[in-house]
Amino acid sequence: MKTRYISMGLLIIVVLLSGCAVIGRGKDFRPFDEQALTQIKPGQTTATEVTKMFGAPSQIVKLSNGNAYVYARSLSKATGVWLVVLTLANYDTQHDRIVFFINQNDVVTHYGSSFKTDTAAYGMPF
Amino acid sequence: MAAALKQIQPLMECRFNRILWAMTLLLLSQILYGCVSFRIDMVNNGADVQSLPQEFVVGKTTLTEVLVSYGAPADIVDMRGHFALHYQRAFYRGGQFSLGPPLSDVLRASPMLDATANLQRHDSAVFIFTPEGVLSEMSYEKGTSQPLWNTYWK
Repeated sequence: MKTRYISMGLLIIVVLLSGCAVIGRGKDFRPFDEQALTQIKPGQTTATEVTKMFGAPSQIVKLSNGNAYVYARSLSKATGVWLVVLTLANYDTQHDRIVFFINQNDVVTHYGSSFKTDTAAYGMPF
Repeated sequence: MAAALKQIQPLMECRFNRILWAMTLLLLSQILYGCVSFRIDMVNNGADVQSLPQEFVVGKTTLTEVLVSYGAPADIVDMRGHFALHYQRAFYRGGQFSLGPPLSDVLRASPMLDATANLQRHDSAVFIFTPEGVLSEMSYEKGTSQPLWNTYWK
């Protein structure tokens, strides 16, 4: 009798899980090194030095008193489960960003950074 | 012997009922497969945006202080002299229910019911600076704290 129950249970699980499950990972990658930020000295570091260290910016924003160089990359993690009549999907995208404010003399005046791609997570939508 | 059988009989019936239920459920789910479907989606883009710190004061707080506290913004906007830093997190919830038995071979038309609900909420902080880098305006909204169901029907 016990074997029959186990078989029934297994059969139900197999049928219910006969859909599909997917785990995906998408990266918008740019090879900038966050350690290089320690070499940035506002008031001294030039725009040329910034591009030597970090490469070409993802975006340049023209400001009235200079420019902002933006470096950005992202990581997305996707989880999907298709059960018999139920589909569950979850996407989480997190970003790494560095922004340099550069004055009209091409010198860095300010910079800010946030590194969050490590926190992107797989999961269920509840 | 007969007495023992009498005692076992309700137990057997109970187990048989359970098996019958499980079989019915299994059969039903297989019949409905392709006719009925539910979908639940969640999409998160960006990290939490913290609320405005009390020490931020318009006319005093500098660009450096905001960058130290909030990090790099999602967007920088030139406002012809002034400029703005925009921090944002987008949070989407979606649900779909479909009911559509494929009857076109039997009837002329196939009935189809499709109900969809999508709600995108945002957490945002915006800081506007003078060209000298002094905070001139700031605002914050935590959209994700709004209730899902009531916000959707508002």
